[in-house]
Amino acid sequence: MKIYNYTGIQYFIKPVILTILIVLFTNTGKAFTPFDPGLPGKVTSTQQQAIDYVAKINELKSSAHWPNIKPDLFFKNLKNNIHNPISIYPGKGTNFCGYGALTYLFLQDDPLGYASLLIELFIEGKATFRNVVFDPSPAIKQAAGDLKYKGVLDINPAEQMWFLTLADHYKGYLNFFNRDYNEGDENTFWASVNYAKFNRMTKQLLHYKYDAMGADLMRPRLKSLYNYISEKMKNGTVVLFVNNRILHKKDHIQVKLGVPTHFIVAEKISIENDMITFIYWDYGRRTQMQVSTAFFKRIVFGITWFTKKETNAE
Amino acid sequence: MLNKKSYILIVSLSAGLLFSCSPKNISTRYYYENEKVLDSIEESYKALYPLGHFNVGFTSRDFKTVSLEIITDTLSYIYEFNIDEPRLIDTLAAYNLNAAKINALVKQMHDIRCTWINYSDYYVDEKKQTLILMSIKPTALKAPFSYAKYYVLTYFPQPQYFDREGRLLDKRRLRRLRKINGEVFRRINNKVCYAVAGHFR
Repeated sequence: MKIYNYTGIQYFIKPVILTILIVLFTNTGKAFTPFDPGLPGKVTSTQQQAIDYVAKINELKSSAHWPNIKPDLFFKNLKNNIHNPISIYPGKGTNFCGYGALTYLFLQDDPLGYASLLIELFIEGKATFRNVVFDPSPAIKQAAGDLKYKGVLDINPAEQMWFLTLADHYKGYLNFFNRDYNEGDENTFWASVNYAKFNRMTKQLLHYKYDAMGADLMRPRLKSLYNYISEKMKNGTVVLFVNNRILHKKDHIQVKLGVPTHFIVAEKISIENDMITFIYWDYGRRTQMQVSTAFFKRIVFGITWFTKKETNAE
Repeated sequence: MLNKKSYILIVSLSAGLLFSCSPKNISTRYYYENEKVLDSIEESYKALYPLGHFNVGFTSRDFKTVSLEIITDTLSYIYEFNIDEPRLIDTLAAYNLNAAKINALVKQMHDIRCTWINYSDYYVDEKKQTLILMSIKPTALKAPFSYAKYYVLTYFPQPQYFDREGRLLDKRRLRRLRKINGEVFRRINNKVCYAVAGHFR
């Protein structure tokens, strides 16, 4: 049995190493990223187009590339994600939250692109999307469909395949010491997503214009965080990179490492008497919480703002 | 220079500090010593949950801040209250929850230092199952350096399978250990298991 027999020093070893890594590699100050011109003239898709696309697929046969994925479960999962993007669930205890947020946006931006990419990846074992070639390693192909004890992710092999493929393909400094997948690595730094990596993934895969403010270790310097975010939300979608150890407490340690670890998609925000009422998406559901402006300032490290640069298909 | 007696004293004190909070001290014995109240909390929660889904616990070390999650079909609401704040009862009533009984549950949890209770789902043969997860911060884990430990209990609705060492198994035929929140759990009885963990949920 894994026993948490931490002493004072042991408890701080991991956070200290993480802090050193972040200090060495993070960008500081305002990180403004110009948008990628992408593929001009290309239109994105609608949910109905994706529904029609999967409806034409009568049967999905087993794929030799993914020995542990049951095709019927894969197809059911894929269809459910297209019909109900909110249900995207990165799994209990995993470091897949960044890929989950990306997928939630992907399903709203280009559901047909998402569906065709995942089908191609499943059948061919590799796939190309917007000039990005996904060619997952044999270890990934073996693991997908076999992840256990992650809640509903256990029975969602399409999400397992996609999250593992993303983690295998995109690397940031947090993945520096653990680049190759081994069993259980979905819970380790192998799967971690730093802020720049998240923005890079969205830039390559989504048809959005985006701006980003913040960094892995430095909070954005703004006169009013609330005003900035609410203004951005009027014209686009906002993803926040937050310190989840404070937002979603799992222990009573009072001195917490001030680093963000979690991506959430902002859905609605309002303020009254210095209290912010905030609705966000993460882990397959929408959550509303009320926090003080001071607390909100403490947890937000990154603000990425997406606006549509291409029209949806009719 | 330290003499032999001082050296032994320092080593003993250090060892005492390090191991006084050993998980061995709070295994099945803790459950049986507090069985009535622990089972009563579980039963109250189990009875109240179908009337309106919620999770509840304490997010401050002094057990004064109550964190309440109310789960509806469209949205989950997270609130924090002081344990004696009238807003707690008002909020429960606003969601048509049984405010008096939930408040009594919160008081009961407070008295035994129960940090959290929630329903958790897991999957067996692709079918959804649920269990009740309850975590406690017993006084035995109050020693210095023990702040990162919780005694976590899982209540299953049906008997489970265990290996010879009493570890919870995935299912009868598959000899794989079942993990919950990343922890391996051990048998207390055929429906209740425990683990000592670094997180209360």
